[in-house]
Amino acid sequence: MKNTGNQTQAQRPELPQGFATESLKTIAVIAILVLAFTNFSAVINFVVNILIFIYTFVGKNFGIAIILLTVLIRLVTWPLNAQQMKGAKAMQDMQNDKDWIAIQKKYAKDREKLAQEQMRVYREKGINPFGSCLPTLIQFPILFALIPSITYAIGSTPLSILKLSNSLYSFQDVASLVPLNSKFLWIDLGLPERTIIFGVGIPILALTVALTTYIQSKLTMPVSSTPGDQSAATARMMSIYMPVMLFLFSVNYASGLSIYFVASNILSIVQYALMGKVNWRNLLPGGQKS
Amino acid sequence: MRKKFVFISIILLAAVFLSGCTGAVAWPGLSASGDVAYLANTNTVYAVDAKSGKQLWKFSGESSGGIFSFGKSPNMYITNPVLTEDGLVIVLDSSSKHIMYALDPNDIDLEKQTPNIKWKFSEVKGLWIAPPLVIGNRLFAPNSDGKVYVLDLADGKSEKQAIEAITVSESAKEEARLWAQPVTDGERLFVTSLDKSVIAIDLKTYDVLWHKDLGGAVPGGAALGADGMLYVGSLAKQLERFDPVTGAHEPVLDTKGWIWGTPVASGDNLYFGDVEGYVYSFNTADGTLNWEAQPDSAITASPLVYGDQILVATESGGVYSFNADGDFDEWYKPADKGKAYTTPVVAGDFVLVAYLESDYYLVALDAESDEKWTFSGK
Repeated sequence: MKNTGNQTQAQRPELPQGFATESLKTIAVIAILVLAFTNFSAVINFVVNILIFIYTFVGKNFGIAIILLTVLIRLVTWPLNAQQMKGAKAMQDMQNDKDWIAIQKKYAKDREKLAQEQMRVYREKGINPFGSCLPTLIQFPILFALIPSITYAIGSTPLSILKLSNSLYSFQDVASLVPLNSKFLWIDLGLPERTIIFGVGIPILALTVALTTYIQSKLTMPVSSTPGDQSAATARMMSIYMPVMLFLFSVNYASGLSIYFVASNILSIVQYALMGKVNWRNLLPGGQKS
Repeated sequence: MRKKFVFISIILLAAVFLSGCTGAVAWPGLSASGDVAYLANTNTVYAVDAKSGKQLWKFSGESSGGIFSFGKSPNMYITNPVLTEDGLVIVLDSSSKHIMYALDPNDIDLEKQTPNIKWKFSEVKGLWIAPPLVIGNRLFAPNSDGKVYVLDLADGKSEKQAIEAITVSESAKEEARLWAQPVTDGERLFVTSLDKSVIAIDLKTYDVLWHKDLGGAVPGGAALGADGMLYVGSLAKQLERFDPVTGAHEPVLDTKGWIWGTPVASGDNLYFGDVEGYVYSFNTADGTLNWEAQPDSAITASPLVYGDQILVATESGGVYSFNADGDFDEWYKPADKGKAYTTPVVAGDFVLVAYLESDYYLVALDAESDEKWTFSGK
């Protein structure tokens, strides 16, 4: 009976260093997400107000306003993105770690033990397994709010202008802003973009979204030296899947959103390049295999 | 790999779902002729028998073809259908297809229970938001591209070049959206624009006679008062009076909020609401405010003169009855949720009110405000 307590203590998995801090971070992110999605209209209003403020500031050009908002979001989330990249790189490197490969083989049939060993390796290497996930999650409310925000702000119907007037904070002079200029280059930002070429409506902007998404995912795809690397295979699959998804999305939604996607993709490439993490070789045929 | 695929799919679907949480994009259009009501609601136009609430026919226009149809977008019917003397029903697709249809309700496709199209017109660059105005055999159709299109009702062909109603700089032209039905005094056509202006056009020559700037955008139309003057409300929170001949104008009343709906003249009085929820009665004979009152919420619809009552629909869904002295009571309140942005109409013996975000599209009320039927498009 006396030994029971000692045995229980010995069997209890050791908590990783900084476990409390990481748990608090996770709880904080979940709390922020719950708060944001239960008050989603407040998040939308916040984004709308920033967008309209920039629109006024840049001489009533919604295209420029959306691009600048994208830059602003990128700057604000820069540390989060950097942390995400760091976490993703660490997880990628882990695939080639000798200890990691060894425990995968050793405990292949004991999932519980494998999980304990994985936590041990994470702890020893100072890696937070959620490090690449949480920074992305915390950005979702803003990204989700962008869609209705752009729809509100551009206001191509009477109801959207009425909703816009209800969304704006009191310091914004809505009456002087209406009607909002939804034209940018040849595009009406409030509508899905089509350019008529030889009588056929071609969604040039949606194709640009797909192309920039493909290039962005290719350039930022880590080089894998391990044959059969699962994460590299996932990344390759995503580089096809994401452009298709975003193309279908852009074809049907207000083209203002497509401007956001294109700007975001380009800025993402710039951010990776500044951090020295762009793999230009990936753009070449068979480049990622080297 | 599959987990990540599912995860990202969920994220994208969530984004689409949440973007849909913003609700409808436009309120319905409603008009009536005799015992038939015409409701333009989202992607369908319905003709409804006002006596029974039964659907007579519906029209959805050309198929959008789904997400793979390049160059197409879902149909959107939001403007009040317009009736011509020949019995045609003019409906406007407010999507990026920009199609105006002339439907012949006397020529119904029995299999589809939809009227055949007599003609259609789509040579415009902007959205159709404003209902057109029928004058004789011509149709004057303002468009969000800043032009008024004049069509021959017989075949829908553009009678002349579209009237360049807005003669402003090229950069500001993007703001020249015409959202309200024009009015006429028999000699001139008066058009309002979101670019904060009011324009008078000669009905014979189509020349722009005058073009005046206001302090705010004008989403609603103009009203001709019993005094022969033109009255226009704007987002500048002012009611302006115009001389229809010269265009000379002056503000005659400051309001609490944006004036959205077109004012309605009845005798010497002009009735209108604002988005702060106030209803105003303005005496055009002596230029003074008779009364103002605030029932509950924003008012975008025009008032409806119904016997000796003025009925006003509000955003909260209520319909309020005002007497000549400005006393009011809640005439009708829907049992369920619903928002009333559209001007009520009289069809047959009933008042019809169109609702947004409600379980039904349309409700018929008798003189005692009792519900006679509801229409949900099913």
